[in-house]
This record gives sequence, structure tokens and C-alpha cells, in this order.
Amino acid sequence: MSILFSKKNLQLSRDLQALTGENVMLCYQCKKCTLGCPSAYAMRMKPHELMRAAQLGLAEEIYWSGTIWICLSCETCNTRCPQDINIIRVIDGMREMSKKLDYYNPYPVIPAMHRIFMTLVGRFGKVYELGLALLINLRMLTPFKDIDMASPMLLKGKLKPFPHKSHGARELRQVMGRIRKLEGAK
Amino acid sequence: MMPYAYFPGCSLGSSGYDYHLSLKYVTKALGIDLMEVKDWVCCGASSAHATSHLLSIALPVLNLSHAEKDGFDKLIAPCLACLSRFKAANVELEHDDDLKKKIHEVFDYKYQGKVKVYHPLEVFLEMGLDKIRGRIQKKLKGLKVACYYGCVLTRPPKIAQFDNVEDPQSMDSIVRTLGAETTDWSYKTECCGVSMTLTRSDMVLKLSNDVLREAKEAGANAIAVACPLCQANLDGRQRQIEETYKTRYGIPILYFTQLMGLAFGAYPKEVGLQKLLTSPREVLGSVGLM
Repeated sequence: MSILFSKKNLQLSRDLQALTGENVMLCYQCKKCTLGCPSAYAMRMKPHELMRAAQLGLAEEIYWSGTIWICLSCETCNTRCPQDINIIRVIDGMREMSKKLDYYNPYPVIPAMHRIFMTLVGRFGKVYELGLALLINLRMLTPFKDIDMASPMLLKGKLKPFPHKSHGARELRQVMGRIRKLEGAK
Repeated sequence: MMPYAYFPGCSLGSSGYDYHLSLKYVTKALGIDLMEVKDWVCCGASSAHATSHLLSIALPVLNLSHAEKDGFDKLIAPCLACLSRFKAANVELEHDDDLKKKIHEVFDYKYQGKVKVYHPLEVFLEMGLDKIRGRIQKKLKGLKVACYYGCVLTRPPKIAQFDNVEDPQSMDSIVRTLGAETTDWSYKTECCGVSMTLTRSDMVLKLSNDVLREAKEAGANAIAVACPLCQANLDGRQRQIEETYKTRYGIPILYFTQLMGLAFGAYPKEVGLQKLLTSPREVLGSVGLM
């Protein structure tokens, strides 16, 4: 792939540094991140390629590959990076930035899961596991997925059929509201 | 009795209830008093930091400040997802004044960063293996246990500040103290894939299968875990994994606290063994524990 390089290409790394404090330019492509990554086999753009693409400002390619959503946040890359780059923070930064961008995402269900998760947490103050699973299954159009796992868990009382509300839920919603305001004002 | 603030997290109320039961049993036996954090809320796990960094720090701080207000300086978080979020919040607040300013803007109560966060393993090790040895009534002879630490108990070292990053030994030393054998294996800290458990189950099946296969190959007849999410994947999905990969494991996945409870002389029901999906009856029965 040939890239016409201009000052504009530096914008992405600058934006990332402003948002996350991480300098992607420090990466020298040793590939330790990719070699240790448990989900690299499922990524179209491997972690070290993502770092290179971020250096070159190829935002569209990064979002199109969907790699940022396949990352499991297991912290292996962060532990092994010889340049001490917080790669997950970079990926989280790109996830945060994606809210305001309109690029194609091959795995729209995964950000939808995070949104549903946070909505339920805001509502009850805790995770309501069964409700979360049901809502995501509906979103994926596979309502009965994992029913073979859920039914014995329900029978053994390992899944609660109804949500349990925390008394702190109100305070939590207040905090979430203030954060939204703070981030919106930025 | 040593009082600790206790943050059970969402899992220990439902899918990890057996962890809760066994942890309560073991801490009581060792003289540790667990006081549940008042009005605790979800720590945000892996979804909060995927949506907003500030939110992912604010949720742990909300809980930590409840504990601080009640005068605690030590908090136990048995779930690894909660544990790593709490530790990350403490470390980042200490080093990032900008973030601290923002967090103080969001909260009425100004959290001072006085609450130190521990995993039960850290607390037990700090008390010393001799204390554990003194409580043992029934040695776990004949069990060959693969200790599975999961992803974020030791990673990243800057935040976890516990044990060896790539080859941790804390759980092994406790399990060996109980009289069981532990296996040497290389998947101790691999990821089970839990953050995709609802959206990309295929990945979870692959990653969890790797862990189960390696444990079996190392000769283990049981796996000990320290996190309700690992347990839900390895135990709850074991049937699915066996069907997908056309194999048979039948390895019971026990919390290390359940093993401790058994060695301390608990009845199986007291430490929640009846809640496991892959029954431990055969393995524990063969060594005279059940």
C-alpha cells in the first residue's frame, strides 16, 4: 500500500496523545504485542499494525478493520511493550473517538453491548446478567443463543431471574450525568 | 478480627455466589471480618473504559469513597475485573493531577486515595501460610490442581503490583499448603476471553478450550480459579466447548477458596460445591473428599 504523506497524517497521533497521553510514535514495530495477543488470530489488523497505522494517520483503515472492538483488554501487550506504550489506552481512545465519527464498523454489536451494559448499570446500579444477555441476543437477532448454558445456571440459582437494585443507583446516575456534561462541554 | 471493606461486585451476587459463600467461610475461619461497602454500585468492568475514560475511573472512585467515608483503609475485591479497575483508579489518581481535578469536580466528596485494594490471595499470603496450615483439618491428598490466575491479577505490573507477572506462584503455594499437588503449565495467565462472552462466543470457546486442553495435558484433575468470570467461562461453557471441539474434559473448576474451605473441614454445601455445573463429585470422591 502506498500512502501520500502530509502534515494531515500526523493529526491522528496528535489527537490520540491529547486524549490519552500516549505517544504512538514511540512504537518501533517489535511485534511483541501481536505475538502475545490472545485475540490477534481474530483481528484483520494486528495490534502492531494498528500502532503503525496510527503513526501514519490511517484512521479509516483502523476503524474498518474492527480491531479496536476485538481487543479483550487482557493487558498482555501493555505488560510486554518495551517502549511502555499503554496500547489498551490507545485502543480505548479510538473507541471513545468513534462515538463522534461515522466510519464503517464490521462489529457494531460490540459497542452496542457496551452501551446496553452501561444503560443497565445506570438503571439498577449493578449488572443484571440475564437482562443484559437477553437484550444483546435480541440485538444480534439470535434470541436463544447460549440457552444451553443459561438454563442449568438458572436452575442452580447462579443466574437471578430478576434485577437486584443497588441503593447507590441514584448517586451513580448523578455522577454519570455530571460526566456527560463535563465531556460534552469539552 | 481484622476488619476489611468488602466489595463483592455484581457477579458474586449471582453467577459467582459459590465464591461469595466460600470466601465468607474461609475469611471467618482465618479471623478476617468482611464488611460490605455501603450502597456499592457496579465498577464498570470492561464496558466503562470502552465508552469513557473518566467514567471508568469515576465508578471505582464512587465505591472507594464510600469505603473511605466509613473509615476503612483496606478493601477486598474478589473479582478480577473489579480488582483491576479499583487498582487502576488508585494508581491513575495518584499520578495524574489533571484527572484528579476532573474527578473532584464530579464528586461532592473528595476521595483522598487512602483505601488500598487487595485480592483475597494477597490478604491470605500476607497473613502467612502458617496461619492457613494451622486451620487445616483434612489434607487434599491426591488432587492435582492447575492454578489458573486469569488475565489481570498480575497484569500490568505497574497497576497490579502483585506476584510474578508471567509465572505467578501465590495460588500454587496456597494450594500446595492444603496438601494438593499443583501442575506446572504455561497457561496460568492466558485470557479466557470474558469481555466477549456475550458478543463473540466463538472466541471465548476457543480461548477457554486452550486453557482446558493445556490443563488436561499437564495432568490436572481440577482447575483452581480466583475470578467469577473465569469460572463462568471454564465451567459454564465447558459443555459447549466439548461439543464444539469434539472432546471430553470433565474437569471441575473450583474457586481456590472452595479448596481452602474443604481443607478447613467445611461441608461441600457450605462452600457452594453443589452450584458447579461440571460436577466435582467424581474427582473429589475418588480422593475421599466428598
